[in-house]
Amino acid sequence: MGIDVQTILDGFFTTIQPMNLFWIALGGFLGTVVGMLPGLGPATAIALLIPITFGMEPTSALILMAAIYYGAMYGGSRSSILLNTPGDGSAIAATFDGYPMAQKGQAGQALAISAIASLIGGLIAVVGFIVLAKPLASFALRFGPAEYFLLMIFTLSAIVALAKGQMVKGFISMCIGLMISTVGIDLQTGVYRFTMGNVHLSEGIDFLVVIIGIYAVGEVLYNFLSINKPVGEKKSVGKIWITKEQWKRSKWPIIRNGPVGFLIGVLPGAGGAIASMLSYSLEKQISKQPEEFGEGAIEGLAAPESSNNAAAVGAFIPMLAMGIPGSGTTAVILGAIVMLGLKPGPLLFENNPDMVWTFVNSMFIGNLFLVILNIALVGILVKILDTPPRVLYPVIMMLAFIGTYTLGYSTVDFLILIVFGFVGLFMKMLNFPVAPLILAVIVGSDMEQNFRMSLISYPNAIGILTASPITIALVIMTIVSLGFPFLSSWLMKRKAGKNNSEAM
Amino acid sequence: MKKIVGVAALSFALILGACSSGNAGEKDDSAYPKKNLEFIAPATPGGGWDATARAIQKIMKEEEIIDQSMTVINKPGGNGEVGWQYLSKKDAHTLAIDSSLLITNNLLGQSDLTYEEFTPLATLTTEWISVAVKNGSPYETATDLMEQLKKDPASVKIGIAPGLGNNDHLSFVKAAKTFGVDITKLNFLVYESGGDVMTSLLGGHVDAATMAVSESAEQHLAGKFKIVAISADERLEELPDVPTWTEEGVDIVFPHWRGILGPPDMTEDEITYWNEAFSEMVETDSWKQLLENNGWEDFYQDSAETTQFLKEQNEMYTELIDESGLQK
Repeated sequence: MGIDVQTILDGFFTTIQPMNLFWIALGGFLGTVVGMLPGLGPATAIALLIPITFGMEPTSALILMAAIYYGAMYGGSRSSILLNTPGDGSAIAATFDGYPMAQKGQAGQALAISAIASLIGGLIAVVGFIVLAKPLASFALRFGPAEYFLLMIFTLSAIVALAKGQMVKGFISMCIGLMISTVGIDLQTGVYRFTMGNVHLSEGIDFLVVIIGIYAVGEVLYNFLSINKPVGEKKSVGKIWITKEQWKRSKWPIIRNGPVGFLIGVLPGAGGAIASMLSYSLEKQISKQPEEFGEGAIEGLAAPESSNNAAAVGAFIPMLAMGIPGSGTTAVILGAIVMLGLKPGPLLFENNPDMVWTFVNSMFIGNLFLVILNIALVGILVKILDTPPRVLYPVIMMLAFIGTYTLGYSTVDFLILIVFGFVGLFMKMLNFPVAPLILAVIVGSDMEQNFRMSLISYPNAIGILTASPITIALVIMTIVSLGFPFLSSWLMKRKAGKNNSEAM
Repeated sequence: MKKIVGVAALSFALILGACSSGNAGEKDDSAYPKKNLEFIAPATPGGGWDATARAIQKIMKEEEIIDQSMTVINKPGGNGEVGWQYLSKKDAHTLAIDSSLLITNNLLGQSDLTYEEFTPLATLTTEWISVAVKNGSPYETATDLMEQLKKDPASVKIGIAPGLGNNDHLSFVKAAKTFGVDITKLNFLVYESGGDVMTSLLGGHVDAATMAVSESAEQHLAGKFKIVAISADERLEELPDVPTWTEEGVDIVFPHWRGILGPPDMTEDEITYWNEAFSEMVETDSWKQLLENNGWEDFYQDSAETTQFLKEQNEMYTELIDESGLQK
């Protein structure tokens, strides 16, 4: 696609028509709200809005739906930071340092930096979209079964390696997640596995139910254990604006991880959860103070926030340029805009350049709107921390159940939710890292299917590992990420002459 | 005390009667439908079935074809199984979207329901299924591809989604069988969604793929891969250069249809009501626009025709699934 300044400007003027600005604002606001509520993700919100888009201008419908999508990326981290209950897979990484920050009395600053990081990540990705949409779309095609399999192995290994000092627990956690992901129909053979004759389980256990169970329900149960303890000092929420020092620490992580998230977002099927987790582990591994990660390091929050928003923008590239939805949410959007008569695919950029550029401009304006909205909301949101537990926890429980129901319209999920609530509680009590389990549930089934398909495509394991330059690079990165914690602690030991490797 | 119990029992009976008025003894059939209609999309919001159901709801209302209001209800799970199970226990005020999955779920051993338990009301649309090969493929035509499969059935990687036993898969199996290929040895890579199949064919990770024409047409027109055959009875307007299987010497026509299913035991009058409603709906401009936007073809058949059609489909699928070795 050539960059035609005139078309981009035309797109800009279409975007700032009052009606389109209204759709951006409405979508951004709705997205922020559904993102905050556990389980009610952007895919559900957009799906429920589809009947409203019937008869809308296709471009406006796309603007509205996209605004919900990236609005949810802003909103998702709000509940991660304040309540340790992520609203979606891509908001999990925000709990690692966001929640500790809130506990240290820096809730306001955490919310602010996450909005700023989302903005910058989003803007980097919009620029990337303008310049690189076409070449990246063809790069993404080079990811076949072997490449996806190794990308997922790499992501899992990076997460396990994060649990420094307790890697064994990380592996156990990951293995449980992989086991959960085997429930449901096996695509390659059509065989039902571990469904116990229950129709609802034939499509597997929804990872969002696992997330809501382990985080939201688990967190409530955990706090219930200490409910009779006298309430301590009222938690301070701190300033709502970041300090110069905090900005200095976050600046580069934000800028670095915009492109990282964007590239991963472009890969169909990878998405925000993988992007934000990889960004987090990247920052921790190159940080000079890795021991502060997990204790409320601001860059540990800024990096994944920049990354997941960039991924949300990147996910539109395969959708618009090739007609391939890169995530659950873009799949819903794709279905909706096809109903309205648009034909996403290789010809869209040639046939409807005005629409494409209006859309790109809307993402630009939408991100600006969202950062203002979210920073304005900081003052109100931090009040959640003042809410007495007897009000707050029942509300969280109620939202968890409502959110779960909207995922599959089945009460079977309630049982699964409660089971994972207890799993979350025990993992917390026994100090097991939760992230490897969740990530394994998210990628496990895709990883397995891709592995099985690679076995058909390549004669043996060596063939899979050396299938292409991409696979070789991924293998090396996996080895480095698993070996790095050992290497760095060995180096540190030599340097300091004493053992100071601390448990995370 | 007794009195109160009696009153309670009576009012309970009255409420029950009111709730199940559809099959209660009231004979005033001219008033059908008597209450709000439920329209089941056996899938989550956002998918093709849900979208179809909501579009029908909108057209029925805006064109004032039916007076009663219609509510779309999502009952996802088990390839439609959950929704149809629900339908099987309802009265004539509930309808559902259906497709060949209603037949194949049972044949594949994934459901106890059969199409015979329901009242088929209409067939509405069909999509045709395409077979495409990657750019630079050694197979120029569908015949080339089939010749190769006849020589060595396992030598070609074929991408399909989202599961074995679905239409995309079985249409290919049927074509191959008709050509004389050993269909038990075919090498399918099963992807999760049609989008994934497209990606893998564009990237050259599979040699051939089968998917709905609505999914593949844009890529073919842009020259990103080549459709070598379609399952329609004649060439399509938007793809004038693509031959049908019949032209390639493989005598098959394979629709991927969607229709409307009613609960068991609907009366003649109720069936007539829907014959009128749907035949009116398919003539509206908004319906035609919907078909065009989605790349669907009009395939309207009324209740009696659909009943006969389902019977033929059932025979065809039974034979195909038997021979492909998929039956449990």
